[in-house]
Amino acid sequence: MLNGNEQERYQRQIMLFGEAGQEKLKAARVVIAGVGGLGCPVATYLAVAGVGHIRIIDHDTVERTNLNRQILHWEKDIGVAKTVSAGEKLRAVNPDIELEAVRVTINEETAPGLVRDTDAIVDAMDNYPTRYLLNNLACQFGIPLFHGAIRGFDGQATTILPGKTACLSCIFPKAPPKEIFPVVGVTPGIIGMIQANEVLKYLLGTGKLLGNRLVIWDGLRSVLETVQVERDPSCTECSHLHGDPGELF
Amino acid sequence: MKVRIKAFARFREIIGSENTLELHNGTSVLGALKSLSAGSKDFRDACFDKEGNVASHVVLMINGKRISGSDRDAVELDEGDELAVFPPVAGG
Repeated sequence: MLNGNEQERYQRQIMLFGEAGQEKLKAARVVIAGVGGLGCPVATYLAVAGVGHIRIIDHDTVERTNLNRQILHWEKDIGVAKTVSAGEKLRAVNPDIELEAVRVTINEETAPGLVRDTDAIVDAMDNYPTRYLLNNLACQFGIPLFHGAIRGFDGQATTILPGKTACLSCIFPKAPPKEIFPVVGVTPGIIGMIQANEVLKYLLGTGKLLGNRLVIWDGLRSVLETVQVERDPSCTECSHLHGDPGELF
Repeated sequence: MKVRIKAFARFREIIGSENTLELHNGTSVLGALKSLSAGSKDFRDACFDKEGNVASHVVLMINGKRISGSDRDAVELDEGDELAVFPPVAGG
């Protein structure tokens, strides 16, 4: 049940998807891997929307070079753990949700226990090896993975429903070379919003998800394209899974 | 024959958003991209691996449909095709 504060706080979105929809968000558990450029906007908007349990994971501390895009980290937070900095702001912006901040490196040992009890995994990482690990666990546990990545004014996003849609390895079988990427804050803002929007739609069971579709954002031209992608029948991660893609809602 | 090359992200920065190439009939994906790279070392370095194949992380699409597999470079293009080259971005 929603309490009085919650009914007031979420009034405008209860108009959109009803108290039943709001209660679905309240009951949901979402893990956000990384609270950097993508993780900050995703976490902020899922928190204010009322996702009941949000787990943020990051091992880094805040540096001044982060501040052009990682909007939950401020000048005063330089040197502080990103989980502490982000956790403080998220708890302040919505005290009605449970916010769990875990400072740990995401690897094969730590990740399974951090994702298996959740309803959705948000990929807000900055490297492909960790993305592939999240994809592997998403396939293993049957949990949707919401992918986003950015560089400069460019970005990409897709939604992975294991066994039903192309997984990250189907779409990107090989990782691009590692680099220190240029970026302006609006790009992860835009891609993070697409990811958060997908998570909300999935939790609410509404709309049409970005399954088997890759969104490519060209910020310099303000063009958003959608490219069809397919499952790879020989994919090492998901070819053994069989699900009906249906209408993806 | 004329083929359009559509570039995304880093590739677009190097060669521009769209290029139209005049190619011999039956030119392959590899041939088209090599033709494009003749005028740009940056594109060659970004798009090809050391063996001269299209780098494995580069996503290739013909007329909006993804092409994959180990022989994807050898796929022949047709008059009017649009070949899209997309380097996945990695930042977060």
